Amino acid sequence: MHKYVLKRLLLLIPVMLGVTFIVFGIMHLTPGSPARLKLGEKATPEQIAALEHEMGLDKPFIIQYGNFVKNGLKGDFGRSYLSNKPVFEEVLDRFPATLKLAVAAMTIAVVIGIPAGIISATKQYTLVDSVTMVLALIGVSMPVFWLGLMLILIFSVNLGWLPSSGASTWMHLILPSITLGLSSTAIITRMTRSSMLEVIRQDYIRTARAKGVPERKVINKHALRNALIPVVTVIGLQFGSLLGGAVLTESVFSWPGVGKLMIDSIKKQDIPVVMASIIFIAITFSIVNLAVDILYAFIDPRIKSQYQ
Amino acid sequence: MVEKIKKKSQWREMWDRLKVNKMAMLGLGILVILILLAVFAEQIASYEDVAIKMDTSIRLQGPSKEHILGTDEFGRDMFARIVHGARVSLKVGIIAVGIAIIIGGTLGAVAGFYGGTLDNVIMRTMDVFLAIPSILLAIAIVSSLGSSMLNLMLAVGISSIPNYARIVRASVISVKDEEFVEAARAIGARDNRIILKHIIPNSIAPVIVQATLGVAGAILSTAGLSFIGLGIAQPQPEWGAMLSGGRAFLVQAPHVVAFPGIAIMITILSLNLLGDGLRDALDPRLRQ
Amino acid sequence: MSNEFLSIEDLHIHYITQEGTVKAVNGIDLKLNKGETLGLVGETGAGKTTTALGILRLIPNPPGKIMDGKIILEGRNLLELSEEEMRKIRGKKVSMIFQDPMTSLNPVMTVGEQIAEVIEIHEDVNKEEAKEKAKEMLELVGISGGRAGDYPHQFSGGMKQRVVIAIALACSPELLIADEPTTALDVTIQAQVLDLMQGLKKEFNTAMILITHDLGVVAEACDKVAIIYAGEIVEYADIESLFASPKHPYTQGLFASIPSLDEDVERLNPIKGLMPEPTDLPSGCRFHPRCPYAEAKCSEMDPKSVEVGAEHRVKCLIYSGEVSGKGIENE
Repeated sequence: MHKYVLKRLLLLIPVMLGVTFIVFGIMHLTPGSPARLKLGEKATPEQIAALEHEMGLDKPFIIQYGNFVKNGLKGDFGRSYLSNKPVFEEVLDRFPATLKLAVAAMTIAVVIGIPAGIISATKQYTLVDSVTMVLALIGVSMPVFWLGLMLILIFSVNLGWLPSSGASTWMHLILPSITLGLSSTAIITRMTRSSMLEVIRQDYIRTARAKGVPERKVINKHALRNALIPVVTVIGLQFGSLLGGAVLTESVFSWPGVGKLMIDSIKKQDIPVVMASIIFIAITFSIVNLAVDILYAFIDPRIKSQYQ
Repeated sequence: MVEKIKKKSQWREMWDRLKVNKMAMLGLGILVILILLAVFAEQIASYEDVAIKMDTSIRLQGPSKEHILGTDEFGRDMFARIVHGARVSLKVGIIAVGIAIIIGGTLGAVAGFYGGTLDNVIMRTMDVFLAIPSILLAIAIVSSLGSSMLNLMLAVGISSIPNYARIVRASVISVKDEEFVEAARAIGARDNRIILKHIIPNSIAPVIVQATLGVAGAILSTAGLSFIGLGIAQPQPEWGAMLSGGRAFLVQAPHVVAFPGIAIMITILSLNLLGDGLRDALDPRLRQ
Repeated sequence: MSNEFLSIEDLHIHYITQEGTVKAVNGIDLKLNKGETLGLVGETGAGKTTTALGILRLIPNPPGKIMDGKIILEGRNLLELSEEEMRKIRGKKVSMIFQDPMTSLNPVMTVGEQIAEVIEIHEDVNKEEAKEKAKEMLELVGISGGRAGDYPHQFSGGMKQRVVIAIALACSPELLIADEPTTALDVTIQAQVLDLMQGLKKEFNTAMILITHDLGVVAEACDKVAIIYAGEIVEYADIESLFASPKHPYTQGLFASIPSLDEDVERLNPIKGLMPEPTDLPSGCRFHPRCPYAEAKCSEMDPKSVEVGAEHRVKCLIYSGEVSGKGIENE
């Protein structure tokens, strides 16, 4: 098992190299010179050329990328063109807010989604099931930013119960986390339901019933653990969507996270900040997925013994 | 010949199963209406004369007889803009998915068919793409290439390539060793012929399911990008951009935000209903 | 009467689906004494498993439904019990061994847990005692008790079926229903598992319903045999009498379709035709479309069960004298 974890951790290295390569490559295509951006409109071509040389922008792409990785390994992702602060610090400053939002949203999604899916599956073809499924379908169909605005309209503007922007108290967390978590809630509900329905039909569930296991235990002990295996995968993947959705949610609620930092930086063409934000989120996502895969082995003994 | 009959009956069977699925038919119905609206947008309301015609004297008006969905912050008719917006959204969504299917499908087919190192290189590259949440990848691409409809399609399309590569690869691997492919190989058919004539047709069904759901995802991503100002430029009506524009007037004129969002939701809902139905029709084991 | 342990009367079970009603079990009558083994023989789809699941009231509902009949176990009609009362019978008084050992065990629980669970539910023991007992059960079926902590995927098919048997017998049930317990196993393992079941059955004095399509297994293990066709019992007899003189044309067909070592036959004689669609059963005698002795009457009249010997009953119009049955072998 340790070997497996170690192997997976080592596999993260090429993935991260790939991610930085893609992000660096895409950003390299941005037209306009960062040197001009830094110096302003009045700069002479000579000044710009001098700064480009200083920043290493006149070197071939692959050398620039090499330097980027070399410095990145030391935690140096360059400085913001605008604030001139180290990018790594800026992103790291904002990171806890994003993580808090994503974790809160995921908690909502798991705490509501899994029980809703179980209930829906065990009451298949009843009104409860139909209502849950319709709600879940609406949930996956709603654009996250629109939902955010509608929640602001209802709970901040009309009812005045909750703040619409900022992040100073836990009250501020409520609307953004509901906004961000809703589609994941819906997806987890749907996944849990279909996985549960699949498992309930299995022979070993019939065996459990034939043993005289009470129905509650058949569902919560025998069926659920098996049904959760694919759901856990979905939860891991959803974390990626959540981190992506956080960009939009943070923009709606002026939530001071990495997503908002990234959007603001895009508008100001502050490329180092944009790159570092994306790379940071990708690293987080990869680590979460790794954690999910390890968790997987604990739920499913078949997988665990594969790696022993 | 025999295969042709078999395939026809497979589609027929799929349609027969889809037909009885009321939710899927509802989705298909809504989708057909949306497509008709998009196709005949110009006949319903002129682009030049209504959809982008500003009249600040009637700005932010609520729904009325003249403007059934009210007017926006520049006094433009919301209904006309939403109808023309359908055109943009569906076009971007479908073309983006088309790009993803062509590139992702080819990569997946090649990886699955040849296996070995090539397969490894392609799929590990796809893994790298998957490590970046797709909306972030799209944001990066648009912010670097600049916002235009074409770049939007490219960005959204490229960011969903790995999905199709995986699906096509999986179905190629599952049909690769079937007898009719072996037979084709035995009579000396060339690789590209085997891929085009035998393997692609057999992996189409799962791709269609993913594509239906994928168009929904692409429309959502497009709207999201437009919402944060990386999408389609004014005055062209795009749902996400409309929503973003109305945002400042959320309190005075909530309809400017509400209606485009509802339009997005209905579109996504119809595609999801249809996609779910197609998936169930494809795998009858899941229904019952 | 005093000896009668289980009695099934006029049991009807249907599966109601969108495509139509599947009449899986149509008026089955069965009796079983304490300690006896009854073989339930028929083709796939004849209603054997449905009958077995019906006894435990484990028919998946929807779509399955017990439409009519009685299942009387020691004087109590199981169909009238509450779900909770029924649950106390399952695994304790009546247990079941399923056909496919590969899928019958929960993949995420150790085999020890799965055996201990049934003991904990039905017996007044604590967790530790149940665990101990589970190990004993494993030893009893020929698996080292040390493997109680292993998961099902670490066992072979035959070993898994032993675990299933251990679960079924853990609470010393009075009735064991074995649904084709050896079909999914290798031929070499089949005999082992069957011997094991036979031995344990004697040890615990358990009555057994053995579902199979293999007459060889029946000959080896059963006291009584019921031949089931299209959801009906067409012939019921004790083992000697059935093997000595099978009466129903279907039973005779079954015997004719197994190779014999004693006789030198040119070729086997399979029963012609296929089982009728259970959604669309033929009128009259269900077997008449495939019966070599069928006459016009067979498609019109529903045969009644006729006594042809001591505890030997046949459901065929030949034996009630309605149809001549010319050419039928009958000694």
